[in-house]
Amino acid sequence: MKQKNSMTKQKRKLWIVINYLSIILILSIFYTGKYYDWPVFVIVCEAASFILLIFSFIKVFIKTQLWKMSHTSDKNLDERQLQVMLNSLKYSYSAFTIIVLVIVYGFAIAEQGPIDVVIAACLLYIAHTLPAAIVGWKEKNI
Amino acid sequence: MKSRKLYNRIAVLRKERNISRKELAEIIGVNFQTVGYLEREEYNPSLDLAFKISEYFGLPIELIFSTEPLKPLIEEIIELKNKIGGQ
Repeated sequence: MKQKNSMTKQKRKLWIVINYLSIILILSIFYTGKYYDWPVFVIVCEAASFILLIFSFIKVFIKTQLWKMSHTSDKNLDERQLQVMLNSLKYSYSAFTIIVLVIVYGFAIAEQGPIDVVIAACLLYIAHTLPAAIVGWKEKNI
Repeated sequence: MKSRKLYNRIAVLRKERNISRKELAEIIGVNFQTVGYLEREEYNPSLDLAFKISEYFGLPIELIFSTEPLKPLIEEIIELKNKIGGQ
């Protein structure tokens, strides 16, 4: 697999944090908007955090080819990359299980009923990006 | 299981043959970053990859990889020569 971008590990970590913070921001603003019946300011903030999410996603997952690495066939990876991916999948499986359990039990305890579509979409996004994020966080070069 | 650190001479041999990491990576069928990891001794190759590397350089595998820090290649060759001469 050919690599083009050589973002430093520190920069990668920063953009991963920004990416996941933007998800938290989207969720917080969404529930604020729902509570206050969507004033214009909240809609603007929600749109801005969505743009931040897309921008940081492109910056950290697409341009560094982390996304490609985590979604490509095993045949396109060499033995080191395969080892790295297997490790990251192991960690992301544990992390994702904890995240889902916290959210599901959080909703149950707060008597909010089942999780809504926005949370489900965010979980889907996390499930897809977490292995790549762990590789980006841990590896010196990708 | 934590594996032992493997020392190697890949960087020296590659420079000696005047090829880039990218070229070596293409020859042995890995990503060029993997060559960097191998040269910095941050990744232990599989037996298959180690053999591919030794086949490419035309050297015995034990002259390229070792579990102990490696001496300069010339010293190793002189020692080997003396060993053969002494027999």
